[in-house]
Amino acid sequence: MNLWNPRSIAGKLTRLNLLVTGTALLLAYVAFLAYDLYTLRQDLISSLTTEAGIVGANSVTPLLFDDQQAAESTLSALKHSPHIRWAEIVSADGKPFATYRQDLGANLELSVKLAPDEKRQYWSKGANILMGSRIEFEGRELGAVYLLAGSGELTRRTGQFGLLSALILSLCFAIAVFATSTIRHLVTDPLTELAGTAQVVSRERDYSVRAPMPASSDELSFLVQSFNEMLEQIQARDRALEESRNALEARVRERTAELTEANKELEAFSYSVAHDLRGPLQHVANIAFLLQNSSTTRASAEDSELMEKLVEGTDRMGALIDDLLNLSRATSAPLRRTPVDLSKMAETILVNLQAGDKKRNVRIKVAQGAHAMVDEGLIGVALENLLNNAWKYTSRLEEAEIEFGYREEAAGTVYFVCDNGAGFNPRYADRLFKPFQRLHAQSDFPGTGIGLATASRIIARHGGKIWAEGEVGKGAVFSFTLPYAAEN
Amino acid sequence: MPRSNRVEPFPRASLTKRGSAALRHGLLALWLLLPLAGATAQPKPSEYDVKAAYLFNFGKFMRLSGGTGEAHRANFEICILGRDPIGHVLDDITANESIDNRAVRVMRIGDAPAARGCDVVFISADEGEGMAADLAALGRADVLTVSDAPDFLKHGGMIQFVMQGDHVRFAVNLDAVDRTHLILSSELLRVASSVMGTPPEEQP
Repeated sequence: MNLWNPRSIAGKLTRLNLLVTGTALLLAYVAFLAYDLYTLRQDLISSLTTEAGIVGANSVTPLLFDDQQAAESTLSALKHSPHIRWAEIVSADGKPFATYRQDLGANLELSVKLAPDEKRQYWSKGANILMGSRIEFEGRELGAVYLLAGSGELTRRTGQFGLLSALILSLCFAIAVFATSTIRHLVTDPLTELAGTAQVVSRERDYSVRAPMPASSDELSFLVQSFNEMLEQIQARDRALEESRNALEARVRERTAELTEANKELEAFSYSVAHDLRGPLQHVANIAFLLQNSSTTRASAEDSELMEKLVEGTDRMGALIDDLLNLSRATSAPLRRTPVDLSKMAETILVNLQAGDKKRNVRIKVAQGAHAMVDEGLIGVALENLLNNAWKYTSRLEEAEIEFGYREEAAGTVYFVCDNGAGFNPRYADRLFKPFQRLHAQSDFPGTGIGLATASRIIARHGGKIWAEGEVGKGAVFSFTLPYAAEN
Repeated sequence: MPRSNRVEPFPRASLTKRGSAALRHGLLALWLLLPLAGATAQPKPSEYDVKAAYLFNFGKFMRLSGGTGEAHRANFEICILGRDPIGHVLDDITANESIDNRAVRVMRIGDAPAARGCDVVFISADEGEGMAADLAALGRADVLTVSDAPDFLKHGGMIQFVMQGDHVRFAVNLDAVDRTHLILSSELLRVASSVMGTPPEEQP
């Protein structure tokens, strides 16, 4: 029962109802009582006036002829007026002449008297009224009569009014309760159900629930209907959203699969091309080698020069094919991370480079202690490409410098390969890592244009970044990161 | 009575003042019953003072039955037959007074027949044996006969003063009244100490 709960609308309505009825009733009670008491008083005064007049008229001869008995018998007629508690006739000299008491207890000493010029006067104290009236006969004052009216009637009326008001108030309360239960049916119950539905929706995000329609058709049913329609729209939109998302995902999956397939085919194709090219090339190289070293046929100088160029060509083509295969492998080979000492790896590569070209004077600097969790084979290829690159572009210098190092940064360890070689135009820095893009002429620095692209791809496969800084003639710095989050 | 037994007095300052004023005037008004011109303060009126006032007041409660009125008489005459025990008090009371628009006169007369022209006659108790003769002489004349002699009513008198303690009262013989055209007011009869005879049929 939420009739009294001030947090419910029904409770509020009940309280309001009772407050209004109670106030109205109280005001009515006070107003009616005041009016009734006023009327009663006026009636009492008027009746006292009449009675005083009658008593006065009947007291003329008793006063004239000094007959107290007659005066008292006149007064005794007042017993028919229950409101008169006490009466007294005083003679002209102010002495009591005859007295009447309603009961033995009623007693009064007159403390007020009519002034000589007053014919009639009344005094009231509380609910008591004292009426004084002059007795005259033929223009001569004989005495006065005083009547005291009591308050019994006034008290009785107040009580009756109170009782009646209490009855009406309880009736109003019953009506208020009845009205509230009606309101509950018509207003509060549908509202409560609506509120419950809204709560379910907001808490469980379940848009399939519906608020029950109230029986009556009014603003409430309109509200419930609108609410339900809103839910329906939300549900429809939700469904459409999910459908389109599902479709999108399906399409993405489809496209990815297609792309992966195409990529694989492409890689398989380039791999097989590179691989299959190797056989015939080796054949050509072998024959060229045989021709060069044949003792039976003496080749002319021109021939031997051509032969040399042929061998050189096959070497370059072999290198290109290797690079292509490396690039292909860098993309497709699975990543197997193991702890690798990069410093040692760099040192080995540089020592090999030095051993391959002993004429060059290159100052080599390798910072020790560069460790990383990487795929050793792939990182080896990347590092080789970067160091080869540095070796190649410092080849024209008398005093070349190549450094492998690393530094700790907030984002992680940054490894770098630094040289003081030919450098590059920073405007084209973004082209450096694209396959077959070269910033230098083949005649200046020979190359396949695949090395940096391969390195970049390997770093990318490790989840790292690679970037280059440099200027023409002032060397270059290739930096890269190899982030490793301890997977699983 | 459920309320308190003692009824509170009415303590209103102005009223109390008025009350005391009324008291002061009340002392002066003591004589209103016996309105003497220039009344001198007297603690208690004497028996004859009261009787004088009654004599005058009786006149106010008597009348003649319809048609037989002797309105030709200009004055309302109160006569004292024989010795006068009342004295000047009656003259003082009735000075400048009137009853039924007739000026009141006080006459002192020596013989009963002269009293026939009076309205009220007071026969002194001193008349003694002569009282019956006096009444006989008046016969059916419309005169209210009053006396303080004992047995006055038995002799055919109309109103007889009787003493009850300190109070002066009076008894009425209605038969005697009925023999004349006089009618006594029932109000007067009400305050009579006793009434002899049948009450008049014609009530005022």
